[in-house]
Amino acid sequence: MTALLHWLTFLLSIILLPVLTLGTIRKTKARLQNRIGPPICQPIYDLVKLSRKGETISSTMCGVFRLSSLLAFADILVLAWLTPWLCFKPWAPHSNIFMVVYLFAFARMFTLLGSLDSGSAFGAFSASREATLSLLVEPAVLLALVSLGIFFGSSDLRVIFSHQTNQTFTDSAIWIAAGLAIFFSSLVELSRMPVDDPTTHLELTMIHEAMILEASGRNLALIEFAHALKMSIFFGLASQCFLRAFPQFNTFNVYSQGGLNIVGILGLALFVGLLESLIVKLQWRKVPEFIAYILSLSLIASLAAIGAGVIK
Amino acid sequence: MQIQDMATFEMLAVLLGFLSLALFFGHRKHLKPAIPAALTFLASLAAMAWLILTWGHNFHWQTQAPFLLGVFPLTFEVDGLTRLFLLLLSTLTCAVSVFSPSYISHIAAKTHAGQYWICFWLFIVSMYAVVSSADAITFLVAWELMSLASIALVATDHSHQSVQKSAFIYLGATRVASAFLAGGFLWMHSITGSWTFHDWTFCIESTYIPAFLILIGFCIKSGIWPFHIWLPYAHPSAPASVSAIMSGFMIKVSVYALIRILVFGALNSLWIIAIAFALSVISTFWGVLFALVQNDLKKLLAYSSIENIGLVVMAIALSLYARAHSLPTIADLAIIAAVFHSWNHGLLKCLLFLSAGAVDAQAHTRDLRSLGGLAKRMPWTMAFFFTGSFAICSIPPLNGFSSKWLLYESFFQNILLSPTAIEKGLSLAVICLLSAVGALAIAVFVKAMGVGFLGVARSKSAQRAQEAGVGILVAQAALVILCVASGANSEFVCRLIAQSLTSSGLKVSYTISNGLPTGTVAILLSMLAASIYMIFLKTSKVTKYRTWDCGFGSLTEKTQVSADSFAQPLARIFRPFLRYQNSAKFEGADRRHFPEEVTVETQIISILENRVYLPALALFGGLAKLLSRLQAGSIHLYLLYVCATLCLLLILGMTL
Repeated sequence: MTALLHWLTFLLSIILLPVLTLGTIRKTKARLQNRIGPPICQPIYDLVKLSRKGETISSTMCGVFRLSSLLAFADILVLAWLTPWLCFKPWAPHSNIFMVVYLFAFARMFTLLGSLDSGSAFGAFSASREATLSLLVEPAVLLALVSLGIFFGSSDLRVIFSHQTNQTFTDSAIWIAAGLAIFFSSLVELSRMPVDDPTTHLELTMIHEAMILEASGRNLALIEFAHALKMSIFFGLASQCFLRAFPQFNTFNVYSQGGLNIVGILGLALFVGLLESLIVKLQWRKVPEFIAYILSLSLIASLAAIGAGVIK
Repeated sequence: MQIQDMATFEMLAVLLGFLSLALFFGHRKHLKPAIPAALTFLASLAAMAWLILTWGHNFHWQTQAPFLLGVFPLTFEVDGLTRLFLLLLSTLTCAVSVFSPSYISHIAAKTHAGQYWICFWLFIVSMYAVVSSADAITFLVAWELMSLASIALVATDHSHQSVQKSAFIYLGATRVASAFLAGGFLWMHSITGSWTFHDWTFCIESTYIPAFLILIGFCIKSGIWPFHIWLPYAHPSAPASVSAIMSGFMIKVSVYALIRILVFGALNSLWIIAIAFALSVISTFWGVLFALVQNDLKKLLAYSSIENIGLVVMAIALSLYARAHSLPTIADLAIIAAVFHSWNHGLLKCLLFLSAGAVDAQAHTRDLRSLGGLAKRMPWTMAFFFTGSFAICSIPPLNGFSSKWLLYESFFQNILLSPTAIEKGLSLAVICLLSAVGALAIAVFVKAMGVGFLGVARSKSAQRAQEAGVGILVAQAALVILCVASGANSEFVCRLIAQSLTSSGLKVSYTISNGLPTGTVAILLSMLAASIYMIFLKTSKVTKYRTWDCGFGSLTEKTQVSADSFAQPLARIFRPFLRYQNSAKFEGADRRHFPEEVTVETQIISILENRVYLPALALFGGLAKLLSRLQAGSIHLYLLYVCATLCLLLILGMTL
C-alpha cells in the first residue's frame, strides 16, 4: 500500500512539479514587476491548449524534427526515473554519474538536430550557440557530480544521495559547493538568465527559444514539458545538495524530507525569478567568463573532496 | 606434428591461391566487382566461423623448411586477444565486401580493378598475419606488407595530384614508423636473445629505450599527435571501402601490438608511460578540435579517429601505470576499456566511412559546403549515419558510451584509489578534459549531420542524389545492428574481453558488480517513445508550410547556416590553436559601394605542419642536396672514389 502511495506521489510530482516550478518563476517575476501575473498553474493550461492545437511544420523538414522532440522527451522521462532528484522515489535504480550526464547530452543532441532540420538560419545559429555553451558547461556539471562521487567514494548517484554522513564541516562545505555549481550550471543548461533570456523573442539573441522556433502544437507541448521537467531534475538535485548540507536533514523521516525537497525546488524557482528580475542578460562574449566561475566552483568542490579523502 | 603440417599446407594454399588470383584478376582493368567481392565475403565469413567455432582454444604454428625467411621460421599464434581483433577484422571485411560491388561501380572509371582487388586482398591477409604473428620477424614482414598494400590502395585514384601527395606523405610516415619498430625490435633481440614476443619483458632499465622506440613506432602508425598528419591525408584520398578498413582496423593493429608487446611485457618505466599518456591526451583534444573545422566529411572522420585512438592509448597508458603501481582493479578496467573501445571504434568508424562513401558516390561530393538536404533523398543512409554519429559521441545506450564509460570509471577509481594527491588531481583533470572533448565531439557530429543531411541541398549534385544501392545499405545496417547490440549487452562484452585477455596470459577480471543499466535504458526509452508517439503525436493534425523566414523571403540554400559558420563560435574559443587565414577580394568599378564580385576565402592553417614538419623536411632536403655533390655524375670522380677506397682498405689491412 505504501509502495503504491509512493508511486502515485512520484508520478504526480513528475507531472506537477515541472509545471509549478515554471509557474513560480513567472509569478515571482510578475510580482516583482508590479503585475498580478498569470496564476501559478498557467503552464498547465498552456500545455493543454497546445495539445489541442494542430501542428504546422516546415515543408523542408524530414522526420527528424518530430522524432527529435519525441526522443528528447522520452529521454528526460528516463532521466527522471534514473536520477535521485526526489528523495522519496519509490525505486532507486543504479544511476551512474557519467551515464546521467551523457543522457542529458542525448536530449541536447536531438534538440540541436531538430533545430537544424528546417534549414532555418535562426535555428541553426542558436544550435551553434547551444553547442558552444554545452562544451563549456558540461565539464562543470560533471565535475560537480564527480566531487560528490569522490567524497562518498562511489560513482552511483543513488549511493551519494542516500548517504548518512556524520556531518563534519567539510561535508557541508562540499555539499554546498557542489549544489551551487549544479544550480548555476543548470541556469546555463536550461538557457535562463544571465545566459539567455527565455522571454525575449528577438531571434538573433536567443538560444533555446530560437531552437524551438519551428515547433508548434503537440510537438511544442512535448518540448516545453521536457524542458520544465529537466529544470525540476536539476533544481531537485541542487536543492537536495543544499538540504543535505544541514546535519538535521538526515534525522527527519521520509515524508518531511520529501516535503522539504519539494519546498527546496520551488524555493530555487523563486530565487531564479528574483535573479531574472534583478540582473540583465550577459553579452554573448562574457558568457564564457560566467561559466568559468561555475567551473572553478566545481573544481574547488572536487579538490576539496580529494583533499578530504587524502586527510582521512 | 600434425598441426605443423597443416600450417605448411595452409601457407601453400594461401600462396597458391594468391598466385592464381593474381594471374586471373591482376591484369584486368575492368572487372565485374561482384565476383571478387563475393570471394572476399566468403573467405572472411569462413574466417569468422573458424574463430567462433574454435573459441577458447589457443593455436600456435610454425612454418617448415621451404617457407622460412632466411633461417627464421614464421610463427603465428591465435589466442584470446588475437581472436578478438581478428573477429573485428573479419566482421569489417564482411561488411566492406557487401558494400563494395555497388560502390566500386561508381568509381570504376578511376580505378584499375585488378590492381585494386589484389592490393585489397594483400592488405586484408597481411593484417590477419600481423595480428596473429608471434615473433618480431614475422610481425615486421607482415607489417611491411600491410603498409605497402595500404599505400597502393590509398593511391588507387592516382591521377589526382592531391592523391599522389597523400600517398607520398603516408609512405613517409610508414617508413619512419617501420624504422622505429625495427630499431626497437633489434635492440630487444640483442637484450633478450629472442624474437618471440612472449620472451620480452620491459621491467629492467636497459629495455626502456627499445620500449620507447616501439611506442613511437606504433604511435606514428596509429596517428597519435604529433605524428597524426598522415591520417587526414590518407583517409580521404582512399576509396571509402579502403578507408573504412584503414580507420576501422589498420590503426587498431598498432593498438593491438601495444597491448601485446608493452602491456603483456609489463612495461614499468614511469617516463615512457607518462609520455604515452601526454601524447594521447593531446591527441584526443587535438583530433576533435580539428575535426570541428573540417568541411570534407571524410577528413572530419579522420580527425575523429585521431581523437578516438587517443582515448584508446590513454586507457592503455592508465592500465600500464596502474599495473606498475599494483592497482589491479584500475589496470583491469582500463585495459578492458582499451580493447572495448578499439572494438567499438572499429565498428563505428567503418560504418561512418561507408556512409560517407555512399554520400560521396551518390552526391558526387563530400564537401559539407555543397551537401545538405540528403535526408529526403537518402533516408536510410541518413539513419545509419545518424546512429553511428550518436554512438561515436558516446550517447547511451549505444556502444560508444559503454567503452567510454569504462574509461571514465577507471579514471574515477584512480582518483579514489591512487596513493598520491598529484595523480588524483591529474585524473580529475583528465575527466574534465574528457567531458569537454565529448561535448566537442557532439558539436562536430551535429555539424556533420545537420549541415550534411538536413535542410536544403546546397548544390545541384546534392539535389540529384538518389538512395544508395542495396549492398551499400545492407552493409551499414549490419554494422548498426552490431553497434546497438554490443551497446545494450555491454556487460557481457566486458566479461568476454576479460576472459579473452586472461586466456592470453594477462590476468584480468571484470569486477564491476552492478554494471550499467544500458539495456534497461534502451528498452525503457524505446517503449516510452513508442507509446507517446502512439497516444500523443500520431493523432496530431499536421499541416505543412514554408520555413519561418522573418518576412525576408523564402528559404534558399544560401540563407542556411554554412558548415564554417556553425563551427565559428566554438572555433573562436580555441583561437590559439585554430589559425584562420582569411582573404577577401572586392572587384568592380565602384567596389567600395557596389562591388560586382566578392570573393572570400577562409582556410585553416595547420600549425604543426607549417611550423614543424615543413621546416624539418626543408632541412633534410638541404642536407641531401649537400650530399648529392658527392654524386656528380662524372666517371672520373667515381674512379677516384674507387681508388681512394682501395687505398684506404690496403692501408687498413697493413696496419691491422
